[in-house]
Order: sequence, then structure tokens, then C-alpha cells
Amino acid sequence: MQAVFDRIKESVLKTQVWKSIFRHDYEDSQRNRLLQVLDNIWLHLHPTKLPRHGAYLRFTWCMGGITFLLFLVTAVTGVLLMFYYRPTAEYAFADMKYLQFDVPFGMFLRNMHRWAAHGMVIAVWLHMFRVFLTGSYKPPREFNWVVGVILLTTTLLLSFTGYLLPWDQLSIWAVTVGTNMARATPLLGHEGPFGPELGMKPDNDVRFMLLGGTQVGPPTLLRFYVLHCIFLPLFLAVFIAVHFWRVRKDGGISGPL
Amino acid sequence: MENLKNILSNADNVPIVGLLFIMVFFVWLWWREASRTDKRIANGEWEQIRAEGQDKIHVWPYLTRNEFLCSLAIMILLTVWSVGLDAPLEEPANPSRTPNPSKAPWYFLGLQEMLVYFDPWIAGVVLPTIIIVGLMAIPYIDKNPKGNGYYTYQERKFAIITFLFGFLVLWLSLIILGTFLRGPGWNFFAPWELWDTHKVVAMVNVDLHEALGIRSKLGANIFGAIIVGAYFSLAFVYYFWKKDGELIKQLGVARYGVLAFLFLTMMALPIKMILRIFFNIKYIWVTPWFNV
Amino acid sequence: MSEETKPAPAPAEKAAAPAATAGEAPATPPKPTVAKPGSKQTLTKPIAETGNLWMTRRNFLSRAGWVAFFSFVGTMLLGSLRYMFPRVLFEPSTVFKAGFPTDYPVGAVSTKWVKDYRTWIVRNDKGFYAIFAQCTHLGCTPRWLEAEGKFKCPCHGSGFTMEAINFEGPAPRPLERVQIALAEDGQLLIDTSIRFREELGQWSNASAFLNYA
Repeated sequence: MQAVFDRIKESVLKTQVWKSIFRHDYEDSQRNRLLQVLDNIWLHLHPTKLPRHGAYLRFTWCMGGITFLLFLVTAVTGVLLMFYYRPTAEYAFADMKYLQFDVPFGMFLRNMHRWAAHGMVIAVWLHMFRVFLTGSYKPPREFNWVVGVILLTTTLLLSFTGYLLPWDQLSIWAVTVGTNMARATPLLGHEGPFGPELGMKPDNDVRFMLLGGTQVGPPTLLRFYVLHCIFLPLFLAVFIAVHFWRVRKDGGISGPL
Repeated sequence: MENLKNILSNADNVPIVGLLFIMVFFVWLWWREASRTDKRIANGEWEQIRAEGQDKIHVWPYLTRNEFLCSLAIMILLTVWSVGLDAPLEEPANPSRTPNPSKAPWYFLGLQEMLVYFDPWIAGVVLPTIIIVGLMAIPYIDKNPKGNGYYTYQERKFAIITFLFGFLVLWLSLIILGTFLRGPGWNFFAPWELWDTHKVVAMVNVDLHEALGIRSKLGANIFGAIIVGAYFSLAFVYYFWKKDGELIKQLGVARYGVLAFLFLTMMALPIKMILRIFFNIKYIWVTPWFNV
Repeated sequence: MSEETKPAPAPAEKAAAPAATAGEAPATPPKPTVAKPGSKQTLTKPIAETGNLWMTRRNFLSRAGWVAFFSFVGTMLLGSLRYMFPRVLFEPSTVFKAGFPTDYPVGAVSTKWVKDYRTWIVRNDKGFYAIFAQCTHLGCTPRWLEAEGKFKCPCHGSGFTMEAINFEGPAPRPLERVQIALAEDGQLLIDTSIRFREELGQWSNASAFLNYA
């Protein structure tokens, strides 16, 4: 039995197709350990070697990685939810009900999307907390901390724009309370200091631009949908790329120097 | 008690309850690591710590293995959470009926709580902007070369205390306050109290100038400007007092200015909270255009 | 006119020439530098050599090119910004008729128009005024609490008297009153797009209060 198994394994691993994809064999050697990382487009984000403490959970808390994982989960579940959700005031709430009660695994996907989003907010805070406590923002990593703050803010904005989409009482009022602050933007809001003096009115100020109307209504739903599904995720992805690239360029995981 | 049970069982509040325990754990973890390192540094083992930091291992399998296990644990947790607990969906949106209380998403409750103490243009626009810009500025104003890449407390006390105060006290505890202790009318309710929509709270807030007997509008305006100006000029006082101190020498004038402004702005929140809660002071500075 | 045709002072400077001109051109406005042998400034030719009073042709073209480029980008940005402000809004009309004055008892707050038009109509012994049901703190819809005789905002607990004056909570100013008048058929006519703010003294405007005995 074992012999048959080995034969099959042998014949798969030795084929030209397999080799053309993975390019190296699996014997545990120094060389293969390096190739495993170098020959893999996903893993080569990593260096081939890192300081010992960089692999310890008690040092990294793994929070950056968890944030990225949860981002991927929300992206995948979010795209799946888009198959059934229509961002218009007549349909949005009905589609939520449909997703929850009729679509197989609809409720599960929605739950996973929401809880992963909550988890991402927590993980990104903890990541910032860890980076601060290890002083990892100090030279030469100053700029990557700035990129991290941008990512943190974008995560919160993503969560916030997603909050409106179910179009229920919870979402519309949370977003009303949130966006009403924009009325009071100094200079650019119609109730902010020096806003009225500059000619700001409910229908031409910064809040109007955000909502597409003078109150949270159907245009707001559409705007938030576009922000939530296209603009902010792309923005986040671009800065994630910069963030990861800078981690490597700035010398990898921080350590006592 | 009934009410506390309701809050705790609200599906959207699960992350906050979780956060309570997670934060305690991670603060403990940090403290353990930091005190261990600090003790070793005090023993003169710095060179040894550095040498350990240079010790390299293979990413495959040591790091990738941990990442994989971590992802598995998180995915299992997430799946169990998603199977066991449904995301909330309330009645359809109705712009003419405001639910009581209306709360922002939990991660913004700190901002919503700030709205009680400051006008919306400060609490909703200026302070969030300062928080974001201030966070970005941290690497450029912290010139302490020590504590780069390892847990420590002794080597950067001021930085860590300030950050912990801002993050744990001003951000997270306000979120918890907003979740558990704020009820209808954004009134304060103890956890064992029932949320009574008709709770009457006598609010006898006065402006600072009124409390001190200044009546004219112009007088109030000038008085407020002086108070706010005096508060921020504490930065100058400290500067001339400790001009030759280590901190200011290390930072230089420009960095010190930014640091002092950010620090004083941060401390303005607890000061305003205390003034409001214990002295019923509403505004410090009243002008025809804005109030502080 | 190009640098390459001129006898360059030294090979090293010649190599640096195109890069330096490109970088400097937009930054240094009309300032034909006098040649200083051996310095980088020799890259820009003296007036006598170029025959141009304030700018070489290449400089001019490059500057014009950049101006065109940035105007294009700027216009696109402004256009996109303007795009976010539509001309027509599909929101309910702000003008409505609220029935006959006799429908309203004296000294009571009517809440029947809140759902559709966000407006309370109040009648006192002198006449009518209409209050816009939007908290001046963060725009929630307050409620009229009959028993306590006040408007109370559920969001942050602001309270307002029957006159719409703020007396508790974080609201910075009184609720706004809206225009009220009598239509030709004798009904009350309300326009919620015209607001009157107490702190600006607008409540004494003629259309902020309807005298009715």
C-alpha cells in the first residue's frame, strides 16, 4: 500500500507540469527553504530569513497579518454579497431580507462580512498599539507609520460607509448622526464657523457632496455604496501595497539595534 | 440588570465586550515583555539583547508556519462567530422616526461622546483631524533614539504614558462609556438602571463667563479668548521654565511647539469633561461665530 | 538653439545640461543668468548668445507645456468636484398647506406634520409659528413630550421649550422656525426652506410669526 502511494506521489512530483509550476523539489534542505519563499509569488513578500523574534507571537501579536487576512475575508464575502444586493432605496432593505431568509448561506456570508469588518477594526488598532509599544515607528520606519495611519483611517471609513448599506433604522440613524458633523466643518459646512459667511448652504456644502442631497436619502445610499465597494477598497489596496513594500525596504521586522 | 443583559446580548456590542478582555491581555503581555527587557538592560545585558536581535532563522518554515496557524485560528473563530451570531437588521429606514438613543457605530462612540463636551465643529471635525495628523506626526516628534524595536517602559516613559492615556483612557474607555452607560436622550444610566425614555435630568449648564458674572457679550468674547490663549501659552511657560532641560534640547523649538500643541489639545478633552460633569460649565469662550 | 549645438565649456557640464534645464525651467522665471565659468549656471546661455530677451524658446515651450498640463489636470479635478453637486434634487417639496387655523387649539403643539414635513405647528394666544423638527446639535429629530412640555432630542439629550429655545443638553442654539403665512384659501401655508434663527434676531421677521386672533 505504502509503495503504491509513494509511486503516485513520485509520478506527480516528477512530471514536467508540476515542475514547471513549482520548480523545486521538497527535500528539507537549506536551499529548498530559501527557494520555497523566493519561488512563490505570494510568499516572496517575506525575506528568506528574519530575526528570531520576528516569528514570535509574543513580539508581533500577528496583528498586521490578521488585519490583512480579515481584509481579504471582507473583500471576498463582500463581492459575494454584491451578487444579490441592489443599492437603491426601494430594494436595499428587501434584498437584505432576501439574503437573510432565502439565499442559501446568505445570512452566514453577511455575518461573516460584518464580524470580519468589526474584527478588522480591532486588529488594526492593536497593530498600531503594538507598533507603538515596540517603538517600531522610529527611524527608518517613520513614513511607514504614516502610511499605517492612512490605512487605519481608511479602515474606519470603509466600516462606516458599509454601515449604511442595510438601509435599516440602525444604519440610517448612525450615518445621520455621523454625517451631521460635516455640517459643522469650519469654512466648508453650512453650520460651521465662518461657513455661512462664505456662502455655504445646505445644498452646496461639504456634507451635500458626501450625501448627494440635503439629508440621508437614496443618493446617499448610492454614493456610500460606490465608496464602500470601489473607491475605498482600491485606495486601501494601493496603500497596503505601499505599506508591505516599505516594511521590506525599511529593513524588515524591527529589532534592537 | 435586565438592561445590562440587553446591552451585552446586542450582537453589535460583542466586539466591545471582546475588546475589554483583549486589551487587558495585551497590556499585560506588553508589561511582562517590557519589564523583562528593562530588567535585563538594568543588569547591563544590552549587548546580549542586541546579539539576540541579530540571530536569524528561516522564514520557511518558522514564520510561515505561525502565520498559517494564526490564520486558521482566526478563520475558525470567525466561522463560529458567524454561525452562532446573526448580524442585526432592524426595521426599514424611516427618516421621520429617530430611535432613542441613536448611536453611531461602536468604533465612533468615542467621537460621539466628545460631542457632549464640545460643539460639533470641534468634536466632529477639528479633533478627529488633529487625532489623525497627530498620530502621523508621532515619528517626527519623538526623537528618543532608545526603545526602537523592543518592548520597554523605562527608556521611553513619557511617550508610552501619553499614548496609553490617549488610546486606553480617552479613546477606548469613552467607547465603553458610550456603549454601556449612555441611554435614551444620551443620558447617563448606571448598568443596573432601566433605560427610561422619560428620565428627567436637570441640566443647569452655564458658560464660564456667566459663572464668573461677566454679562456683556464683548466682555465674554474677550474673556474667553484670554482663557483659551492662556491655556495654550502654558507651552511657552514650560518652554522658558525648562529651556535647558533634556526634553527641549533634544526636540528643538519647532518639534517642541508641535508636541506641546498636540499634548495640550489632547488634555483639553478631560479638562472640558471635568468642567462639564462636576461644575456644569458649558462653554469657555463664546463668540458670535463659534463657541469653545 | 539647443544646448548641444553650442560649444560647451566642459564635457561634465554638457552631460548635466538637459537634466538641469528641465528641472530648473519651471522654477526659475525669466532670469537669464550671466555665465559664470565653471559653475552650473553656465547651462543657461547669456542673452547675447540666445538673442532672446527674457526666455529661451525651449524654456518657453517647456513652461507652456507645464502650464497646459496643470490647467488640464486642474480643470478635470474641478469638473469632477462639480460633478458631485447635481442640479436637480429629488426631495419632497418644502412648501405645504397645513389646513385651517381653526383646526389648531390654542396653546398646543401639533405634531401631525412632523412625519411628512418635519415641522411642528404651535398656536399660542397671539397666533401661529412653525418650528423645524431638526435638532441644532446634530440634526436628529427631537420629540414633543406633552407631559413635560418640551422638545427632547433622543440623540444627545438636548431639550427645547415650547418656544423652541434650548435649555438643556448640548444644543448650541434654539431650534429654527420656518416661514408661515395664510394662503388665499385661508389655510396655513408653510415653507420649510425659509428658516429663521433666534440668535440672529430673525424671529421678529414678519413671516416668522402669523398673527391670528
